[in-house]
Amino acid sequence: MSALRKYRRIWLRTASMAMQAQLTYRLGSFGFLLGKMIRLLFFFAFMAAVFNHVETVAGYSLVETALFFMTYNLVDMTAQIFFRGVYGARRTVSEGDFDFYLVQPCSPLFRMTCSSVDFLDIVTIVPVIVMTGMVFARLPPLGAWNYAAYALLLANGVALIFAIHVGVAALAVRTQELESAIWIYRDVMFMGKFPVDVYAPAVRWALTVGIPIAVMTTFPAKALLGRLSAGWIVYAIGLSAVALPLSWAFWKDSVSRYTSSSS
Amino acid sequence: MKKYWVAYQIALQETLQRRSTLIMDRLGGFAIVVSLYSFWTALIGDKTSFLGYTRAEMLTYVLALNILRSFVFTGRGWQLVGEISSGKISSYLIRPLHYYGYALALDMAQKTVHVAASIFEVAILAWLTGGALFLPHDPATWLLFGTAVVLSSLIFFFLEFMISSLAFWTSESGGPLFCFELFLQFAAGAFFPLDVLPLALRKALEMTPFPYMVYFPVRVFLEKVSSAEALRLIGLEALWLAAVFTGAMTVFARGVRSYSAEGG
Repeated sequence: MSALRKYRRIWLRTASMAMQAQLTYRLGSFGFLLGKMIRLLFFFAFMAAVFNHVETVAGYSLVETALFFMTYNLVDMTAQIFFRGVYGARRTVSEGDFDFYLVQPCSPLFRMTCSSVDFLDIVTIVPVIVMTGMVFARLPPLGAWNYAAYALLLANGVALIFAIHVGVAALAVRTQELESAIWIYRDVMFMGKFPVDVYAPAVRWALTVGIPIAVMTTFPAKALLGRLSAGWIVYAIGLSAVALPLSWAFWKDSVSRYTSSSS
Repeated sequence: MKKYWVAYQIALQETLQRRSTLIMDRLGGFAIVVSLYSFWTALIGDKTSFLGYTRAEMLTYVLALNILRSFVFTGRGWQLVGEISSGKISSYLIRPLHYYGYALALDMAQKTVHVAASIFEVAILAWLTGGALFLPHDPATWLLFGTAVVLSSLIFFFLEFMISSLAFWTSESGGPLFCFELFLQFAAGAFFPLDVLPLALRKALEMTPFPYMVYFPVRVFLEKVSSAEALRLIGLEALWLAAVFTGAMTVFARGVRSYSAEGG
């Protein structure tokens, strides 16, 4: 319990420092924030505009498609808030900062993944939550079980993303390269903006079993709409149960091979 | 001119040398194209046309986006911001070359590799999907399209160059540049044809240079506009390029005048 308190304190402290730094760079921060909002609003406007011309896409109405899009944003932005540090993992290793992480009384994995907070992500998630609430309000009445399954699979999606981020961080420690691995993940994650049902069967399979973007983004929304079988829910949770220990083992192995890359 | 050609050749070799980065870049871009392609395929469904585009035209639009993204949206803006902020630009300013010419040469090298890769990707995707693509009937269309694309690429380059030059005055120019690039991609039609937007918004966008970068060139390729109209659009593009070029050169020159650097 005290460890949990310690990590909460570290995270809050680094988030506060990040916020102060970003408030110092007002023009830059405003530009980045505006860009993030533009991306969100334009896609939303695009979806709405598309549905002026069609009734459904892959069998989903406007509200349902918006639910998929907002769920994607919720999962993706939550992961960005908490795991942003991985984006600079290669630099952390190659510039020698990782050596300092190893001697600090704190998990180096936590320092690497969670202690680099982009305050703008926290600001951006507010409209995402509001817009998700607006989408929820337009859905037909759903049972408590649907909402519980949605929350469970949302958390499961974030856990899977965490496993991927740990894997990328481990690669950086192991190779001091492969910074673009995280950007591939970002680009592939783009596919989660739409329900997985729009893709061809082979792509759908790859997104469910290979790189499980669908499990992270489509599954929660489908569960909420009551269109996901219990079997797939078990599969999603099982996938996290396997991916998390695997990524942890890969991380530990990579750290044990680390020989420092800076003087 | 020879020095820029040499810079182009060296940059080309460098780009080809970093094969893993290139492959990863292309993989990411390919995922976006597959995503958009699938979405539009689902939208069209059993319909013969959507928003005035036949199935082949719409799918060609999406695949053409992949090539145009590689040719149009690869400027040197972030590098310029970095070089001004770090002071590295000093070493270019004392060399007997125009910085923008040098940056353009490096950009062309990047475009060469990425366009070749994107054509390859589109060919694979077209083959996988049965090759139901639209190809122009009139040979002149290829020439008009090529001209429009070259102009749009230069408009993007100098627009980005102009915004990045803000780094001469502030260390925070990354924010505006990020915002500009995101807005541009939507306003240019790089995610979806602008026909999907309400008429008033589309008309407003047509008064900016943005639709000339993707939306209009693809419409020329799809022969959605007559040759006369295509020539008029290319003329307007040339005017936008002249305006953007003048703006970029003015801002850059003023920036260089106000620039100071310490150390060696």
